Amino acid sequence: MKRLFILLTTLALLSCEDEIFPTLNTNEPIIVVDAWVTNQPEAQTIRLTRTQAYFSSQFAPGLTGAMVTITDQDGLVYTFSDQDNGDYVWEPTAAVPVFGTSGKSYRLLIEVGNTVLESNTVMGRVPEIDSIGFRFEPGDSFFPDSYFADVWARDPVGPGDTYWIKTWKNGTYLSKPSEISLAYDAGFSAGGNVDGLIFIQPIRDSINPFDQDDNDDFLPPYSPGDSVYVEIHSLTDDAYKYLSDIRIQTDRPGGFGELFATPLSNVGTNIRVISNGGEDKVLGYFNVAAVSSAGRFLDPDNLPGERPE
Amino acid sequence: MYKIYSLFLALTFLCLVARAQEKVTISGYLTDASNGESLIGATVYISEIQGGTISNVYGFYSVTLTPGTYNIEYRYVGYQTISRMVDLSENQRIDIELGEVNQQLEEVVISAEPEDANVSSIEMSTAKLDIKTIQALPAFLGEADVIKSIQLLPGVSTVGEGASGFNVRGGSVGQNLVLLDEAPVYNSSHLLGFFSVFNPDAVKDVKLYKGGIPAKYGGRIASLLDIRMKEGNTKEFEATGGVGTIFSRLALEAPIIQDKASFIVAGRRSYADVLAAPFTDVLDDGAALNFYDLTAKANYNINDRNRVYLSGYFGRDNFKFDQRQGFSWGNSTATLRWNHLFNDRLFSNFTVFYSDYDYSLAFGENDRDKFEWDSRIRTTSFKQDFSYFLTTNNELAFGSEVLYYRFDPANAIGVSDGEATDISLDPKYGLEAAVYLSNDQNIGDNLSLQYGLRASSFTYMGPGNIYTFAEPEVPGERLDVIGVETAGRREPIKTYFNLEPRFSFKYQLSPSASVKGSYNRMAQYIHLISNTTASNPLDVWTPSTNNIKPQLGDQYTIGYFRNFGGTNDYETSAEVYYRSTENQIDYIDGADLLINQFLEGDLLSGIGRAYGLELYAKKNVGRLNGWVSYTIGKTELKVEGINEGDWYNTRFDQTHNFKIALFYELNERWSFSTNFTYLSGTPTTFPTARYEQQGYVIPYNDNNERNNIRIPDYHRLDIAATLKGRKYNRKGELRKNRDSWVFSVYNVYSRRNPFSIYFTQGTDRPVPSQPISTEAQQVSIIGSFFPSVSYNFTF
Repeated sequence: MKRLFILLTTLALLSCEDEIFPTLNTNEPIIVVDAWVTNQPEAQTIRLTRTQAYFSSQFAPGLTGAMVTITDQDGLVYTFSDQDNGDYVWEPTAAVPVFGTSGKSYRLLIEVGNTVLESNTVMGRVPEIDSIGFRFEPGDSFFPDSYFADVWARDPVGPGDTYWIKTWKNGTYLSKPSEISLAYDAGFSAGGNVDGLIFIQPIRDSINPFDQDDNDDFLPPYSPGDSVYVEIHSLTDDAYKYLSDIRIQTDRPGGFGELFATPLSNVGTNIRVISNGGEDKVLGYFNVAAVSSAGRFLDPDNLPGERPE
Repeated sequence: MYKIYSLFLALTFLCLVARAQEKVTISGYLTDASNGESLIGATVYISEIQGGTISNVYGFYSVTLTPGTYNIEYRYVGYQTISRMVDLSENQRIDIELGEVNQQLEEVVISAEPEDANVSSIEMSTAKLDIKTIQALPAFLGEADVIKSIQLLPGVSTVGEGASGFNVRGGSVGQNLVLLDEAPVYNSSHLLGFFSVFNPDAVKDVKLYKGGIPAKYGGRIASLLDIRMKEGNTKEFEATGGVGTIFSRLALEAPIIQDKASFIVAGRRSYADVLAAPFTDVLDDGAALNFYDLTAKANYNINDRNRVYLSGYFGRDNFKFDQRQGFSWGNSTATLRWNHLFNDRLFSNFTVFYSDYDYSLAFGENDRDKFEWDSRIRTTSFKQDFSYFLTTNNELAFGSEVLYYRFDPANAIGVSDGEATDISLDPKYGLEAAVYLSNDQNIGDNLSLQYGLRASSFTYMGPGNIYTFAEPEVPGERLDVIGVETAGRREPIKTYFNLEPRFSFKYQLSPSASVKGSYNRMAQYIHLISNTTASNPLDVWTPSTNNIKPQLGDQYTIGYFRNFGGTNDYETSAEVYYRSTENQIDYIDGADLLINQFLEGDLLSGIGRAYGLELYAKKNVGRLNGWVSYTIGKTELKVEGINEGDWYNTRFDQTHNFKIALFYELNERWSFSTNFTYLSGTPTTFPTARYEQQGYVIPYNDNNERNNIRIPDYHRLDIAATLKGRKYNRKGELRKNRDSWVFSVYNVYSRRNPFSIYFTQGTDRPVPSQPISTEAQQVSIIGSFFPSVSYNFTF
C-alpha cells in the first residue's frame, strides 16, 4: 500500500494542475439533513442546513425552527431539540441511556414549516475490534522509518454487513476524503463473497494517515507516543453506497488519477419529501449505527517483532 | 424482412445473368520488386475498356474480359508503371513485380492509392495512411504511431493525452473494431494511451473505415481500423530498427525460401526503467514500469493457387510496485490464413484466429494477505471470405464468420490473514455468427454501386447464472435482482439476430469529381464497460445478455469529392454523416463495474445520435505537401435516468476538430514536418452548489445535468526534422545501410492542454473549527513541450 502511494504521488508530478475560477450556475438553496446517529452513550446530533454556492467558503447556514424526531419500530420516540444553530440534539436519559438497538428499524421525521421530510433505516450490527497492532517498517529514500497500525476484527457470518471505519490519531479525526474507509463484509463489495472473514488487509491498514510535510515529504503514519483510536460504525447497504459515492465525488487525487476518475454526478439521498410545503427537494442521509471501538498507544518497548536500531 | 431478401436475390441474379457471353480472365498477384511484399490497392488499368480493377488486401487481382488484345497497365503510387500488351484468348495468370520509382525529393508518399482514388473509388469515409506518412509525422517522444496518426484525419479524435483508443464520428472507444491481420485487438494502447500497440516497422497498411463499411465486416458500430502486417522480405535479409527516447525497436525479415517463403519478427521494448535503475532505489525489489511487444509473421507461397500466412502479436505493459504488487495488461493474437484460388476468378481466404486481452492486478506484500485479480476476454474465430470476379463490372463477395467468446470478468482471490476466499465471477460465453453477400457493380461509365447484406446473430450461452432484475422504481437507480436461474453448459440463454444492410454508390460527375453516398447498419454484440473520464486498460468487455441488448447503429453519409491539377495534385472532399444508435450503454451514478456479479443492474440503456460535416484537402505533390482537415460535429445520448432523460453530450463530443499536417523536403538529406491540432474542449459537468455531510463537502448539480459545460479548447503544435544519413560513403560508393535521425518537439509552445476539470475540497485534512474551502482544478496530462531524438536504421 505504501508503495502504491509513492507511485501515485510520483505519477501525479508528471502531469500538472492549475487552480481555475470558473463562473458556476447556482440553484435555490436546498434542505440538507445530516443525520448520522449512533448507539454511543452520548448526546446525538442531527444537523439541518442548506446548500450553498459551490465556491462558498463559509459554514453551511443552519436551519432552525424545525421539529425533529426519530421513532423506533416499537413506537419509542426520540425527540431532538432545536439548538437554534441548525443542530438538533437528543440527550441520553437514565431511562434511555443509549440510542437504539441493533436490528431495529427507525423512522426520522422532520417538519420544516409545512414541509415534512421522512426517512427510514435499520440499525445494523458491528463486530468487536479484536485488537489494534503496530508494526515497524524501515524507510527508504521516499518514505521515512515508520510505524504502521492495523485494526483486527472479524466480520460476523451472514452476508450484507457493511461498516464505516473511523480513525482518530492523537485525538484528531482522520477526516480527509481519501481516509473514508468502508467495508462490505470483510471486503470491498457485495459481489466480493468475503463474508465472515477477518477484514482484508487493505481495510485493516486503512487506519494509517499518509500525510506530507511542507516539502511534500511523507510523514510516518505513527511515531512512538502516538495514540490511535478506531470506531467501526454499522451501515445499511444503501448507506454503504452513499458513503462510497461520497468518496468517489470528494476523493480526487488529481493528476494522472484523472484518467481513472469518474465524472461528477450527484450523490443520492434516503430522505424524501412527503409533504411539499414549498420545498420539493432534500439532500443528505439518515443512518443509525451500532459502534464498536478500541484504542492504543504506540509504545515501541511493548511491541513484538522488528524494532528500529 | 422478406422484401429485403427478395430484392437482394434479384440483384444477385441480375449480375449472374450479365455474364452470359464467353469470357476470359487475367489474374495474378502484384508485389513489390524490392522485397516481395504484396501491393494492396494497386491499379490494374485496361485502356481499351477504360477501366479495370484494384488489387485486394493480399495483392490479388482478377479481370474478366471478352477475348482480344489489351494494353494492361499496372500502377501504384511511388512505383514505376508497367504496361503489358496481352493477346487474350484464354485465361492467363500474370504476376507482376513493381519497382519503386527512384525517388529524389518524394520520399514522403502521402498515399499509396491510385492518384485519383479519392474521386474514382466507390469507397468513402475511409482513410488510408501509408506507413511512410506515419513515420514522417512528428510524434510524441519521436515514436511513429499508427493510432496517433489517424487522429490527424477528419472525424477522428481522442478525449486527451493518456486516454486509450480513439473516437470516430462520435462513437466511443469500444465501438471501433481494430483488426491486426484479421484478429481483433481489444486494447490498442501501451502505457495507458500514450503509444499504440502496433509496431510501425511491422505494419504495411492502415485503413480506417468511418462509414460505408463493407458487408464483410461487422461487430462494432462506429468504425473499422484494418491493419495489415508486412509479410517479410522474400528477396533478401533486411533489418530495420531504431533507438528512441522511450523505447527501441528491431525488426528482422528474410526469405526462408527465395521468393516463396519469408518471415518478419519485430520487437520493441521501453527502457525508461532500465535507464533509471542506477539512480533510484524505487525500482529495487522488482518494481517496474515498462512495456514490450513482439510481432511476427511468416508466409509460404505453396504454389500458384495456395499461399499460407501465420502471424502473431504479443504485447504487455507492466506497472509493478515491487515483485508481487502491481498492474499488468496485454493483448496477444494469432492468425492463420490460407489464400486459395479455386480458379482465376474465385479468390478465397480462410482465417482462423485467436485473440486474448487480459489484465491483472495484485496487492499484498506476502502470501498471508493478498489480493490477486485478473480479467480477460478470449476470442476464437473461423471465417471464410470469397471474392468472385464475375465481370469487369461485378465483383461478388460472400462469406461467413463464427466467433466464440469467453469472458472472464474477474478471476480473483483474496487472502486475509491466511484465509483465502475466491471472489471470482463466473465466466460468460457467447457465440457470434454472420454470413454476408455483397456485390460491387459498375453501371455504365459513371455509376458504381456496392450493395450487400450481412446477417448476424449472437447467442449468450451457459454455463452460468441468468439474472432477472426488477423494473426500476426511479430511472437511474441500481436494479435489484429478483430472480436467478442457472443455465447448463452450451445452453442458449438469449439469442439475438440482426440483418445489416449495406449500400454505397458513387456517381462520377467528371474525371475529377464525384458524388458518393452510403448507408450501413451495424450490430455490436460485445460491449466495453467504462464509466471513467477516459477509457483505460482496466475497462472490461461484456457480452450482450438477456439484460443487455446488442447495440445497433445506422449511418448515412453523403459526400462530394473533387480533385484539382493535372495529375490530381490536390484532393478535396466534403462529407456529411448522420448516425443513430440504439441500446447505448451508460451507467448509474456510483456504478460498481469491477468484480460485480450483478453488473447488469448498474447499466442503463438509451439511444444516441451523432452528425457532422468533414472537410478535407490534401496536396499530393511538390516539396511542400500535406493536408488540412476540419470536422464540425455533435454526438449525444439520451438515457432514462441521466440528465432528467434529456439529450446530453457524450464525453467525447468535440464541436470543432481542426488539423493540419505539413511535410517539407528541403534537400536530399533534410526534411521537416509539422502538425497542428485544434479541438473544442470536451464536455464535463460542473456543480451548482455544495453541501456538507459528516464533515465532507459534496458537490451538487441541481438538475442532475450531465456534461453541461465544456473544458477549454485543446491546441498543440508539433514539429520534426529528419536527417538522412549520407547515401555514399567516403569512397563515393553507395552505402548499403540507410539511416536517419529524427528530432522532434511535441507541444512546441508548452500549452497546458486541459484534460479535465475537477472540483474538490482539497487534500488537506479539514480542521473542525474552520469552514472547508472548495476549489476547481484543471488537469493537464502533458504540461510542457517534449523534445526527443531517435535514430532509425535499415540494413
